[in-house]
Amino acid sequence: MGFFQNFINKFFKNLFKGKGQVKLGLYGPPNAGKSTLANAICKDWLGEEMSAVSNVAHETREIVIKEQVNIKSKDGKKELAFNLVDTPGIATKIDYEDFVKTGMKAKKAKKRAKEATKGVVDAIKWLDDMDAVTIVLDATKDPYSQVNITIVGNLAARNIPVLLVANKIDLKKSDIKKIQDAFPQYDVVGISAKYGKKIQDFYDALFKVVK
Amino acid sequence: MPHQCVRCNTIYDDGAEEILKGCKCGGRLFFYIKKNKLKEVKEKTAKLSEKEKEEIEKDVFELVGTDVKEGDPVILDIESIRVLKPGKYELDLVHLFKNEPLIFKLEEGKYMVDLAATFKDIFKGKKKK
Repeated sequence: MGFFQNFINKFFKNLFKGKGQVKLGLYGPPNAGKSTLANAICKDWLGEEMSAVSNVAHETREIVIKEQVNIKSKDGKKELAFNLVDTPGIATKIDYEDFVKTGMKAKKAKKRAKEATKGVVDAIKWLDDMDAVTIVLDATKDPYSQVNITIVGNLAARNIPVLLVANKIDLKKSDIKKIQDAFPQYDVVGISAKYGKKIQDFYDALFKVVK
Repeated sequence: MPHQCVRCNTIYDDGAEEILKGCKCGGRLFFYIKKNKLKEVKEKTAKLSEKEKEEIEKDVFELVGTDVKEGDPVILDIESIRVLKPGKYELDLVHLFKNEPLIFKLEEGKYMVDLAATFKDIFKGKKKK
């Protein structure tokens, strides 16, 4: 039943999928800067932000979609239109006590943990709908984590075009090469979403990945 | 595979009437446990207080979403998600990425194994800006 339902859904979705309706998903562990990147893209091309950002992990706990984002290549000759999908951070452990440590009340922290768990499940379920994915990693952190490896491995198995972003290159501890070494099959673009640093490189790489 | 009532810790085998109708204690939430993990889970859940059990029950029903009718028993596959204390979750990404059913919902004595997909329906388009 589920299989046929999926098949029918996909068939109709493809049938009515007009040009420029590419779904670009931002995936990655919590606090890697997915929402900050989403905001940078939207600010650049739409003049407005799309997601709330926070230093406390799991700020994004629901899928957020920005429709019809149009970006242009550096020479202005090419245009790419997509729906941008910001997703909750994917984690293996969500503990309300981590939120309590940031000063949050226990009740609120438990609610946040529950919503974040739901968010992980939701983000994974949405993968099937993505036409391309940008994996946002924190370049100051060890890339060999279970979360990163599972996300990258699964996207490769699903044949979804992937662009790897090493975010937070404004920080001294950042190491793009370490990410490149961890995932040699992908191009890695180093950016600082917060300060808009090298963001043009990200757009250029997007044109290569999303065709 | 054994199913454990979250409220009273009673273990039931597959197909037990209690799983279909709800536990004798009135509990409607069961953990679905693989045999090799049974001992570990039993030990952990035995330490939970009544209040904690109630909290877990409430949280899981909220996680399942609005599709579960009141009175329907729910079985949580703890291979994918563990909630052995309120507010503390462990997620098995490999399981989740496999698109294996997260939650088994029982209806008219049958397993509904596609409930995870309802997450998508519930949230799809909900937060478009």
